[in-house]
Amino acid sequence: MSTITVQDRAVAINPTRSCAPIGAMLANYGIHGAITINHGSQGCATYPRHQMARHFREPVEVATTSLTEKTTVYGGKSNLLAALKNIWERFHPTLIMVCSTCLSETIGDDIPGVIDEFLEQHPEVTIPILSVKTPSYIGNHTTGFDNFLKEIAGNLPDRRKKKGETNGKINMIPGWVNPGDIRELKHMLREMGLHGLWITDYSETLDGGYYEPRPHFARGGTTVEELRSSSRSLATIALQRYVGGEAARIYERRYGVPAHVLTMPIGLANTDAFVDTLVEITDHVIPEALQVERARLLDALVDTHMFTTGLRVALYGDPDLLEGLVGLVAEMGMTPAYVLTAADTMPWAEHMLELTEELGVESEIILKGDLHELHKRIKAHPVDLLIGHSKGKFIADAEGIPLLRVGFPVEDRFGYHRRSIVGYNGSTALVDEITNLIFERRASSIVSNTLVERGVEGPSSVPISLPNGNGKHPLVGLSNGQ
Amino acid sequence: MNFKCNQTLPERAIHIALKGPDGGCQRGDGSGCFIASNVATTPGDMTERGCTYAGCRGVVGGPVKDAIQLTHGPIGCAFFSWGYRPHLADSDFHIKYTFVSDMNETNIVFGGEKKLLQCIIEASNEFPDAKAVFIYNTCSTALIGDDGRDVAKQAEERIGKPVVFFECEGFRGVSQSMGHHVGNETIFRQLVGSVEPEGDFSRAINIIGDYNIKNDLRTFEYLFEALGLKILTRFTGNVSVDELKIMHKAALNIVHCQRSATYIADMMRDKYGTPYINVTLWGIKHMSQALRDTAAFFGLEAQAEAVIERELARIQPRLDHYRQRLQGKTVFIYQGGPRVWHWIELLRELGMETMTAATTFGHDDDYQKIFRQIKDGALVVDNPNVPEIEEILRDRRPDLFISGNKEKYVAYKMGVPFVNGHTYDTGPYAGFVGMVNFARDIDKALHAPIWKTLRSRARPAPVAHHTSHGFEEVE
Repeated sequence: MSTITVQDRAVAINPTRSCAPIGAMLANYGIHGAITINHGSQGCATYPRHQMARHFREPVEVATTSLTEKTTVYGGKSNLLAALKNIWERFHPTLIMVCSTCLSETIGDDIPGVIDEFLEQHPEVTIPILSVKTPSYIGNHTTGFDNFLKEIAGNLPDRRKKKGETNGKINMIPGWVNPGDIRELKHMLREMGLHGLWITDYSETLDGGYYEPRPHFARGGTTVEELRSSSRSLATIALQRYVGGEAARIYERRYGVPAHVLTMPIGLANTDAFVDTLVEITDHVIPEALQVERARLLDALVDTHMFTTGLRVALYGDPDLLEGLVGLVAEMGMTPAYVLTAADTMPWAEHMLELTEELGVESEIILKGDLHELHKRIKAHPVDLLIGHSKGKFIADAEGIPLLRVGFPVEDRFGYHRRSIVGYNGSTALVDEITNLIFERRASSIVSNTLVERGVEGPSSVPISLPNGNGKHPLVGLSNGQ
Repeated sequence: MNFKCNQTLPERAIHIALKGPDGGCQRGDGSGCFIASNVATTPGDMTERGCTYAGCRGVVGGPVKDAIQLTHGPIGCAFFSWGYRPHLADSDFHIKYTFVSDMNETNIVFGGEKKLLQCIIEASNEFPDAKAVFIYNTCSTALIGDDGRDVAKQAEERIGKPVVFFECEGFRGVSQSMGHHVGNETIFRQLVGSVEPEGDFSRAINIIGDYNIKNDLRTFEYLFEALGLKILTRFTGNVSVDELKIMHKAALNIVHCQRSATYIADMMRDKYGTPYINVTLWGIKHMSQALRDTAAFFGLEAQAEAVIERELARIQPRLDHYRQRLQGKTVFIYQGGPRVWHWIELLRELGMETMTAATTFGHDDDYQKIFRQIKDGALVVDNPNVPEIEEILRDRRPDLFISGNKEKYVAYKMGVPFVNGHTYDTGPYAGFVGMVNFARDIDKALHAPIWKTLRSRARPAPVAHHTSHGFEEVE
C-alpha cells in the first residue's frame, strides 16, 4: 500500500528544485534566433546562465535589465525599455522573451504594458515580444517552462485558419527534457513517417557542433514561422502533464487542435502509449524499425531481470520525470521505495498512488520534499539505487549508493544532456545503465556476468576470495600477488 | 577605441581604453579621462555581472565551514549558489548543504519573519554542531520589508549561537562587489572580537581575502609558517566561526584579494589598530615580495630569504621547462577584479604578455594597477559583455583566454585555448608550487592537439533549412 507524505519542515535543506526564470530561458533556447531578457537583478540572469552552462557545456546568453536600488524605488520601466532597444538594435533577434523575477513582480512592474509602449515607440520592430511571469516564489523551474509554453500557445499561432486547413504536422511538446531526448523523439516520428512541429526544440541550440565560422545564431531551434503555423497542426502531443499539458489544451480550446497529454515515454508501457497515440492520430502503422526497437527493450528487460528484481530505489525530481521513471523501474522489477518531489501537487500524488497500486509496487510519495529528508529516510531504511539529478551525489557518496543521473542539472558528468532516456531506445539505455551500476557495486570482477551475495557465509567458512567490481574486497590484495 | 558590436551602444566607450605610448589611458570616448568602472550596467547589454547576493553568499560568507548557510528568500538563489564554487576546507558541510526559507507567494504577501525564525530554529536543531547561522537576504524579502535583523536577534536568544544577518539583496549596488562589502562589514560587526582569547599573538597573522579555491591556501600557508609565524584566521577560506571571532588578536593582516576584503582590514585597523599589508600571492616576484614584506614586519628577513631560495630551487627547473614552451604567447585575462593585475606579472614570468585585460567588478584602484603593469597598446575593458568578448576573441585573437566557466564555452566555440581562472582547471595556482600547476594547465590548453585538428579539419555549418522533421541539412 503506497502512502503520500507532505513534508512539513519550514526550512528547505538541499532542495531538489530551482526557480522559474531558468525554465523560461531554457524553453526560449528552442526557438531559432530568440533572445531572453530577464527583468530583475543581474544575478537572476547570471546564475541560471551559469547553471545551464554547467549542464549543457555550451555558451548560454541571457540579457538582464540590471535593476538596482534606484530602479526598485522608481520602477524598472526605463531599464526594460533600454534593454529591449539595445537587444533589438544589437542582435536583431527573431523573438524576444521577457521573463520576470521576484524583484520585478514584487515592485509591480507592468511588463506587457512596457512592451506595448516599446512597440509603439519603435514601429520598425515587427518581431514578437512575449512576456512570461516567472517570480521565483511561485512554483519551481518547471513552472517557468510551462508558463512560457502557455504564452507561446496563446500568442504566437495564427488565428486565421480556414476550416479543415492543416499543415500536416503534429505539435510536439516534449516538456523539460534533454537535447538527446528531443533527437530520439524526432527519430521516432521520422520512422512513423510523421512531421513534428517542436514546441520548442533546443536539441541543437544547446548541443551544438563546432563550425568555422561560428554561425551568428546557434544552429537549430523551431522558427517563429513554424510556431505561427502551429494552429493548423493535426494534433498536439504533450509528453509531460505539468510542462506543456496546459499549452496543449490551449491549442485545443483556441484553435481546435486536438490535445493528447501523455505520461513521459520512459519504459515499455509509457512508450507504447505514445506510439499508440501517434497511430490513433494518423492511422499510420507502426514501422518495422520501431517494432524492432520495442522488441529489443523487452529483450533487455528479460536479460537483466535477475539483477534488478527486488531492488529498492529512491527517486527524486520533477513530477513528470518521476511518473515516467516509476513505470520503467516497476517494469524492471524494482520497488520505487521513495518518490520525492519538491512540487506541491496533490493531484499528482494521488495519481502516483493509483499508478503504484496498478504496478503492484509500494512507494512513499513525498510532496514538498528536499534531499535532506530523503537522506534521513535512506539512512533509516537503505536503498540499492538513487535516481535523480547531480545534487543527489552527496547522499550517494555518504551512503555508498550508486546514483543514476537523470534530469536537470547533471553538472558533474559529461554528455548526459546528449543521452536519451525516452522511447524504446532511451529506455533500453537506462536498463543497461541501471544494471551496470548494480554490477559496479556487486558483481565479481573475475567471473563475468556473476553477482556474488556477501554476508551469507557461515561464521567458520573460508572467506570468499572473489573481489567484487569496485575492488573493495579485503582479499583483493592477495589476488594481486602482493 | 570602441567595438564594432557597440555601434548602437555609444555609452560603452567610457569603459574601454587603450594604454597609450605615454603610459596614459586613452579612453574610448576620447575625453582623456580614466576608464569608468563600478557604475551601473547598461540594461540589456549581455553583461557577465552577478548580484550582491552572489558576492556575499557565494564569495565571502559561503566558505565559512561550520556555519549554516541559510538564504532568506525563494528557492532559486539558494539552489544556484549551492555547491559549485570550490572554496574547499578541511570539512565539507558548507559545500554539501544549503538552507533556504523557501518563500512562497503567501509568505511574500503576509511577510516571512515568522517563517524565517522557524527556519533558523529547525536548521539549528537538525545540525546542532554548526557554530552559527548565516542568513542571506534576497530581493523579495527585502522589498516586503522583513526585519531580518530583529529576527536574527530573537533567534540568537533561542538557539544560543550567533545568527548573522547579511543585507545582501541582489538589487543593491551595481555588481557582486557590493556583496563583498556587505559580507565584510557584517562579519566584522557581528563576529570579530566577540571572544577574547588568552595567549601570545605577537607572531600571529591573518590571511585576508583568500577563499581557498581548490586549496590555494596550502600553497603558501606553509611558507609563512616556515618564517615562524602562526596563521590565526583565514578570511574566509577554510575558516571556522570561532576563528573569525578571535581574528582581531592578530599582529598583522595580510590582504590578498584587495577588492573583496580590504574592507575588513580597514575596519580592523581603525578599531583594533591592526596593521595590514597588501600582497599578491601568485607568481615568483610577488610571492617573494609578500614573504619579504611580512618578514620585515616581524624582523625575520633572514628566514624569508632562506625560504624563498629553497622554494625557488624546487620549482625553477619545471618553470624553465614551461617558460620555454609558453614564450611569446599573448593573453586575454578577464576576471572578477584583482586577479587580472595579480597575474600580469606571473604571466610575464612565464614569458607571456597580457594584451587585453578586463574585469567584471573592478574599481578605480584595480584599473590603476592594471594600467601600471600592462604594455603599451594593450586593451582594457570594464564590465565587458558577451558580444565584446566575442569580438576580442575574434579580432584580437589572443593565444590564450583566462576567465570563468560561463565564458569558457564561448572561447571553445571560437577555437580559443582557455584556462579557468575563477575556479581553476585543476589548481591550486597560488604560491610557488601553484604557479607550476598554472603553467602546466596553460601549457596543456595551448598545446592540446585539438587546436591543430580544428584549424585543419573544421568545416562551416551546413546550410540549414527547416523541414518537417526539424532542422536538417540540404544537399
